[in-house]
Parts: sequence; structure tokens; C-alpha cells
Amino acid sequence: MTVDELWAELVTTSLLGTDRRNPPEAGGLIGDLVADTARADPSTRMLAAVAACTAVRRAGVRPADPIDPLAPPSSDDRAECVPAAVERWHHIITSWPVLEDEWILTLVGRGWRLAAELVPPALHRHRRDSIRRARVLVAAGPLADWLMDHVPDLAQTPSARPLTSIEIDRLGELPELPVSPELASLLTRRGAEVGGVIAVGLEDRTLAEAHRAVLVNVIARCVPEGLPDIAEVLGAVDDRSAGFGLASVLADLALTRYRMLDELAEPPDAES
Amino acid sequence: MVWSVEQVEAVAPSPAAITGAQPLATPGRWFDVGADDRVIWGSFQGSGAEPYDTAVDHVGVGYLCTCPSRMLPCKHALALLLMWSRDLVPIGVPAVKVEVWIQRRHARAVQEASAWELGDGAGVNAEAAERSVDDEATTEEEPAPLPPSVGERDTARNERVERMFAGLTELDRWLDDRMRTGLADPALARYATWDDLAARLVDAQVGGLANRIRRLAGLVGASATWHDDVLAELGLLHLLSQAGRRLGSLPGPLADAVATTVGWQVRRADVLGGVPDTDRWVVAGRSDQRENRIEVRRHWLRGTASGRWALVLSFAAYQQSLNTSLEVGTAVHADLHRYPGPALRALVGKRHLDESAAIFPGDPVSGPPSGRPPAQSVADAADEIGGMLVAEPWLDRVPTSVTAAVVRRGDAWFVGDDTGALPILPTAATRGVGDRRNPRAANDPLTMLLALSGGGLVDMTLEWTPHGVIPLAVHLDQRSIDIGPRADTSFVGAA
Repeated sequence: MTVDELWAELVTTSLLGTDRRNPPEAGGLIGDLVADTARADPSTRMLAAVAACTAVRRAGVRPADPIDPLAPPSSDDRAECVPAAVERWHHIITSWPVLEDEWILTLVGRGWRLAAELVPPALHRHRRDSIRRARVLVAAGPLADWLMDHVPDLAQTPSARPLTSIEIDRLGELPELPVSPELASLLTRRGAEVGGVIAVGLEDRTLAEAHRAVLVNVIARCVPEGLPDIAEVLGAVDDRSAGFGLASVLADLALTRYRMLDELAEPPDAES
Repeated sequence: MVWSVEQVEAVAPSPAAITGAQPLATPGRWFDVGADDRVIWGSFQGSGAEPYDTAVDHVGVGYLCTCPSRMLPCKHALALLLMWSRDLVPIGVPAVKVEVWIQRRHARAVQEASAWELGDGAGVNAEAAERSVDDEATTEEEPAPLPPSVGERDTARNERVERMFAGLTELDRWLDDRMRTGLADPALARYATWDDLAARLVDAQVGGLANRIRRLAGLVGASATWHDDVLAELGLLHLLSQAGRRLGSLPGPLADAVATTVGWQVRRADVLGGVPDTDRWVVAGRSDQRENRIEVRRHWLRGTASGRWALVLSFAAYQQSLNTSLEVGTAVHADLHRYPGPALRALVGKRHLDESAAIFPGDPVSGPPSGRPPAQSVADAADEIGGMLVAEPWLDRVPTSVTAAVVRRGDAWFVGDDTGALPILPTAATRGVGDRRNPRAANDPLTMLLALSGGGLVDMTLEWTPHGVIPLAVHLDQRSIDIGPRADTSFVGAA
């Protein structure tokens, strides 16, 4: 009797109990191991055989026969985005989700491919949002479909509505963010000016926490070249002023967006 | 070295906590702020009359704040860290109370003379861990009791041995009853059947076995093959109970391993006092697992020179922090101190300066920051696993590394190559039975492994369990990616 056959017998006996069925006689290696219990009562012999058999089976762990590999996903020639961009995505999701649309549109627009480790969390994050999900599918390439074939939980939720033709046409466009008319001019001005207007407003309290959302939108949509200047000016706000806290937060947003765009500069191949 | 913003985010109990801390991370709202190479401190003027005094141990990772928040770390500690990460905290000398706090923490980390833990190889006794956590909390404020005399110690030890033997005898009698009445006995489906026994084993101070009994209760009816799983575990309990009653006749290392597995307590100070195992340790993988009310983190380290594996454990009760100082894919040049016997479990002692190793996540030290375990075939990995289980058949988790692909046979997933295939531990996500509102597929180890490998061969670290292997890390050309099961951030303070 092989070890596996003995084990099967032991399992059967264990279901019934040794009061109703005697344990199998262990021969060979296992029999040698439990020889000192040969004259004990059935339950003791059973326990000894189970212990020995378990130890032998575990220590003798053997792989199953080789299995054919999976068919791989179709190839995707785009370069995978750099690890710094992966870290930035996590930071954006945690702290600045307002930048997520721009992050992925920039990634696609500049010819990068979504890093493989971001494909599952990005698919999962946008199971219900058809527009953002469509962008993830483009960014991830063939890997996304391949992955969903193997892990159905990553598929779109059945309740998600299909995209309209207008939405499909506008997939590559950044969604508009609400900006109040008096601040709208900041969207096209130089960074130092934008930073200055916000910094002065925060210091003289014409801008405050109540304006936070709209100020975030301004920095998330202003001319990217001005972001370092915005960060610098907001970072220099007097730390004794009431607006210092919000200025620091907005400076972090400006810096995050600047670094995000820098990390997603054209891939080396695309540049050449 | 100064943390990055990402590291600060990593220790935050939730994204909302970081958002709440951001406005406070401004020097204008703080006074008496400073930092040295161990601690950051400052006083925050909140809405109350008295400022909140805050300190952060940025080496051993710990927090102190006089605010009423129950969150750990609170937003003041996070704000302090954010300021520090932005270079807004000047170098200084801490006030006396901060100095006392940090010295207490340092002393406890080195000695922990009053903190007890169990060492049972890769298995963990959550009750002991919980007690250890509690001990840590109380020693903060209370003076250490006077050490017992030699006579008192001997008496206590003998009494303890008697209780252990009585507990092991009772366990074997109980196992005998299970064999006689059979696993179809309806009593096995009642949790009280197991819990009563576990409670008696705790009283007998064989907590290691009590924890196994509680885990075993969860196997009953859990799968189509639960009879196999339960029977195997009952066999191992019998093995341990028999070995535990024959400790005196076992070879020394084996006796040590059995003693710690059944629940013999080993003082942390004694472990740290042992001969160090010095090497450049690759942090090959990490896995988190909830056991009762404790989150257990396993870091698997592999010696570059010795080729030996080691296990570093950390524990967190609700809203406490797990060890985040070991980052998968980095290497640490350090002394490890192993628990008695052929134990995998070890404590990290002195860390040595190693310019070729990143010692801390985000460490700006130049040179190759990475480390990876060696590649090997599936057949060789199975041999490695078997070798560890020969030494300690009761281990329920052992590490290995392999170069393999994800493969599938029917609904079952494996890691395989042309030498064979090892089954992957099924999860709710991969069985297609995930909670529809909150499927776990996004961070499921198998899903991540599929994404990172695209079905091709890849280097990885695995954790073997009796029910299948768990992928913990994928080692790519330039970096390693930690894909091991991660603690629920709503439970632990930092993960």
C-alpha cells in the first residue's frame, strides 16, 4: 500500500471512527515508524499512523506533473511607464484624485503603457465608471482583456452603463472642472502670477478654506509650465498667516502635477 | 534618514488621516519643533487651551501625542512627519520628556526583559503576541518588577512543566476520543467543542497548541476536503503532544523546537543574547494574516552568503502599527538572532552599515538597493520546502523562491515549469466567489502575479502552506514587487 493509499484508508476510517472500523494496517515505511504502537488500542494506532503519514506526506512534498503554459496576451510595443510614475499614481489616488484623469490621458497620449502592477487596481477602481474604464483599457493594452479573461472579478460591473458615441469621441479629452468666473483668468496666466494671486488672497483672507475646491481645480487645469513657480510662490507664504496651511497643500498639488507630467515625458523611443 | 512623503502616507491609518494632517503640516502652527537621528518632536497649538505635545520615533516607528485622538498615528504625528519630510523641521536637542520616552523605547527594543513572546517557527501564537503587545503598553508607564530569585524561578518552572505535561496528556486523550467517535461526529461542528479545549490548553500554558486548535475549528466544513485537512492537523497535534511529553529524550535542537511550538515561552532578551547570524539579508517576501484579534506580519529573509531563510514577525492589535522597516526587494546587512532549535524565526539585532544595501524604504543610499533570492526550478523548490518540513513537520508556512509561470488546470491555479507544478492557495477572488461589492481581485496575489508575468516565466518568492502556495513577491530585472496578502488598513494603524 502506497502512502497515498494508506492516507485514503485513514481518512475513511476517521469518518466512521475506530469504534466502528479498525484502522488500516500500516506497512512499509509508515509501518516501521509506528511499530511501537502495534499492540495498542485501535484509536492509539490510528493516531500514530495519521501523525506519521502526515509528516511523511508533508516532508515529501512533490510537484504535480508539468502543465502547459497559458497563451500569453498579444504583444504591446509601448514602453511601460517608469516606477516613479507608478508611485505617483498611488500618491494621486490617495491624495489628489483630481489629477487621475490627466495622469492616464498623458500616459496614453505620450505613448506609454500602463505598468502591469497598476492594471488590476486600475481595472478594479473603475468597474462602474465606463469612461475611465475605457481609458484604462487603452492604457493597459492587450493585458487588460487577457487578465479579465482569467480573473472575472476584474470585469466591468453589469450595472455600468455603456458609453455613448459622444463619450467615445471625447475619451481623450480632459473633463472640465468648475472654476468661478473671477478665477477663470488664472487658467491661462503665467505661474508666478497665478501663485501670486492665490498667495495674496490667502494672506489677506479674500481666499480661504471655503475656496479650496475651486483653487484645487485652478491648479489642476492651469498651464503646466507655470507649476514650479506656483509651488514656489505658495511655498513662500508667511507661515504666520491664516492661509499658510492651505497654501502648503496647494503647493503640494502643484508640485505633484509638475512631477507627474515630468515622469510621463515622452518615452525614449518616441523621442528618437 | 528623512522619510519620503510616500513613507508618511504608508504609516497613515487611512487616506483621510493624511488629508486631515496636510493643513497642520505648517511650521506656523507648531512651536518647540525639532528632530535628531532618532526622534521628531513639537507642540501643536490646537483649538484647546493646552497645546498637544507630539513626538515620533522615526527609527523604531512609534508615536506619542497628548491629543485625545484614538487614531494611531494621529494627525499631529502625521503632520510632524510631513513637515520633517519637507525639510521644515530643524535639527535640535529633545526636551527631557521626549528624551525619556525615546530612551525607554530604545531600551525596550534592545532588552524587552519584561516582554514575553513565543517562538514556534513559522507558526504564531496570537494570544502570546497579544500579551506581548499588552506588555509593551504597560511597561511604558510601570516600573519593571524585581526579578525572581533562582529558587522562585525553579519552582515556577517546575510547576509550569507539570501543567504543560497535564495539558498535553489531556490533549492526547481528547484526540483519542476524536479517533474513536470519528470526524462525522456532530460535536465537531460546534465551536465550543474546540474552544473549550483551547481554553484548557491555555490554562495549561501550552498556548501554541491552543492556537492551532482554534485554527482547526475553522477548517471544519470549510471545504470539500475538510476531513483530510482536519485529520492531518489532528495527526500533527498528536505528534507534538507525544514529542512534548518526551522532551528530555529528544535531541537538543529538536527538543527546543518542540518546546517553543507547544508554547514554551522564550524571553526576547534571551533570543537577542544568543549568537548572531550575520549576513546580508535579502527581504524576499512579506505576508500578513489576521489571527483572532491580532494581525501577524511575516517577513521572509534569505541570507546572501548562508542561503538560510529566516522569519521576522511583527504583530499589531487594532489600530497598532506593523513593522514597515523591511521592504521587499531590499537587503539588510544585519545580525539576526534565532529562536531556539532549528527555528526560522529570528529577531533583527544590530544593523551594519552597508553602502550597497538600502536599509530603509526610500533610503537614498547610493549603490544597488535591491536583493533577490536565487532562481530555481519548481522541483528544486519542492525539495527546499521538504527539507524544512523534515526538520519541523508541524510548520504551517515555509518560504521558497522559484522561476516559474502561472498555469491552470481546470479551475485550479499552479506555479509551474517543465519540472512540475505547485498548487496556488485558492482565494475568494480566484474562485469567482468574491464579495461582489468588494471583490478582492485588485490586490489578490494571484491576480498580481498574472498581471506581472503575463503568463510567462518570472522569478518569485512563495510561501508554502499545506493547502497551496501563496505568491509573495515578483522579482523583475530592476526591482521587486511586493504582492503578498496585506493587512486590512481599517484594522491596523500602518500597513
